[in-house]
Amino acid sequence: MDQHEVGAVAVSRLLRDAGMEIIYLGRFNTPAGIVKTSIEEDADAIGLSCHSWEYLHYVPELLKMLNDQRLNIPVVIGGSVITPGDSDKLKDMGVAAVFGPSTTNDELVESIQQLVS
Amino acid sequence: MTDQFTRSKIPIKPVYTPEDIKDFDNEKKLGSPGSFPYTRGIRPAGAWTWIQRELSGEGDPKTSNEQLKYLISQGQTGIDVIADAPSMALLDPDHPLGVNAVGTQGVSICCLQDFRDLWKDLPLDSLTISNSIPAIFTAAALYLVAKENSVSAQKLRGSVIQAPFFAEDCGYATHMPFKLRLRLACDSIEFCTKKMPKFHAFVEDTYFFSEAGLNAIEEMALGFIEIRHVVRDLLKRGLDIDSFAPRIAILVNCSMDFFEEIAKIRATRRLFARMMKAEFGAQDRRSWAPVITCHTSGLSLTAQQPFNNIVRGAIQSLALVLAGVQALEISAFDEAFRTPSPESHMVGLRTQQIVGLETNVTKVVDPLGGSYYLEALTDEVEKRIWDMIMDIESKGDPAELSDKGFFKKFFDDVMARYAKEIADGVLPKVGLNCLQIPDEEDTLLKEVAETKIEPCWDHIESIKKYKNKRDPQKIKIVLQQCYQSAKAEGENLTYPIIKALEAGATIGEISGVMRMAYNYPYDPHGMLEPII
Repeated sequence: MDQHEVGAVAVSRLLRDAGMEIIYLGRFNTPAGIVKTSIEEDADAIGLSCHSWEYLHYVPELLKMLNDQRLNIPVVIGGSVITPGDSDKLKDMGVAAVFGPSTTNDELVESIQQLVS
Repeated sequence: MTDQFTRSKIPIKPVYTPEDIKDFDNEKKLGSPGSFPYTRGIRPAGAWTWIQRELSGEGDPKTSNEQLKYLISQGQTGIDVIADAPSMALLDPDHPLGVNAVGTQGVSICCLQDFRDLWKDLPLDSLTISNSIPAIFTAAALYLVAKENSVSAQKLRGSVIQAPFFAEDCGYATHMPFKLRLRLACDSIEFCTKKMPKFHAFVEDTYFFSEAGLNAIEEMALGFIEIRHVVRDLLKRGLDIDSFAPRIAILVNCSMDFFEEIAKIRATRRLFARMMKAEFGAQDRRSWAPVITCHTSGLSLTAQQPFNNIVRGAIQSLALVLAGVQALEISAFDEAFRTPSPESHMVGLRTQQIVGLETNVTKVVDPLGGSYYLEALTDEVEKRIWDMIMDIESKGDPAELSDKGFFKKFFDDVMARYAKEIADGVLPKVGLNCLQIPDEEDTLLKEVAETKIEPCWDHIESIKKYKNKRDPQKIKIVLQQCYQSAKAEGENLTYPIIKALEAGATIGEISGVMRMAYNYPYDPHGMLEPII
């Protein structure tokens, strides 16, 4: 339900400018919808942006769906609301990378490039 | 030439002199405080204050009611409550898409009982009750709750936000067609004009959409586009401009560009006054003078070194008081992390109280009036806002522009521009793009900021029970009435909404059937079956 979009739009454009193909789904997505689009678009990675705490509930659901369907697509997540403790938990769960408010543009691009290469 | 600019890219010089305002017509541009064109404020000179409040609401309505009572006990002089994300999107808390967000970013509100609980034991006849909760439902509920408490609707004060244009693009999408969104706005304004004459039923909120990263010029230009469109629609209905214009208020943002923000507010008052008088023919002096209220920018705050945000709030609130606003809320220092904690609420409220009580700045009205710099800047800001309004209106009917995605594209571009300004260091942000400290040293106030609230699972269950206990036939009848009224052009939807709320229907249900009347799906997310 989160409506904050500044970060998501900015990161999408940043990655696009770095030469990646971006399918931006906008607001109001569900894990099922994201998995479906990822299959249709043959996604190399899934990026989530959050400015609410809903990620705590949706990330495990998304990872489980990917796992159930045997899809090996790395999931990355970014947002200022993710605390260091949450970040560790997310990584333990299987999230490939977590980006906080201090991540630089270069770090972000490099990290995604490494993940999909 | 100069290489210094305001945030809106207005060139600024190292010093301003009488030369910069040499043709300045004092009477025409300033007048006296409390007189046309209201540049110097809408009240005559004299002791003044503003409504001091902090944006509130979290969890279920009862929890929020406690929060409001606590803030009032600490000297808060009005209330402003925001609903959580599902409620703002017109979804009930039991909607499958909303369950994980119930009560975490505001209060969960979906039925009349929720409003009763939210306002329980508050002095409805004297307190100003401002709401960032879907407008027509809130106005209808306040009308009903006042009646239940034997408070005359004539006495109700406070406000609701009308956002038919931009919420869909960069705020809380309701998934309703523009035509219905505009109708709901105008219906509720018309209703309140007749029944709740002291209530500000039309707050133009430029805050939320300017948080996409708009500058002062863009913020006000888009705000005026919306005001002008809604005003024209109300006039088309046959309403007299002086019947509703005195109750228009503008809720503005405040970034860190100190003088430009003050100039923006002064220019906005002058523009509004001239527009109302010359263009819309208003004759009542109160129609010329807009109430300006403000929420300081959350976007200007940082997740890094959250204590710095306290300083930002203090500087912004001082700018706003110098500009002479009628009400003020400071974005909380933990804004980047969460809905305000009790600690950050208190800091915001105390900041306002310190500015009000300790600095003497309210002893003189518009104390910066006449400053060479500020008057030159106010002129330039006013000119640029007006030029942008004319430019957008020349592109076509704003309603059609909205449908075609013109504003959506505009917001997307601005979001990317803002991120680039931060990344490139064009917009300095202490702790973020300069003067950083390592994350492991950045601990002060972090514990407060990072404390989470759980979604309100109990409230979801109690709403489910509430729904099951109702007489389904009775609910169907009132929802049918909402549907039929929405189908029929020209009926004011506030009346069937009042009946539906009174009978126990929820905001999600009423919104769903109104969507259907406009050939939109009952549930925009395709998860619920229509109830009628």
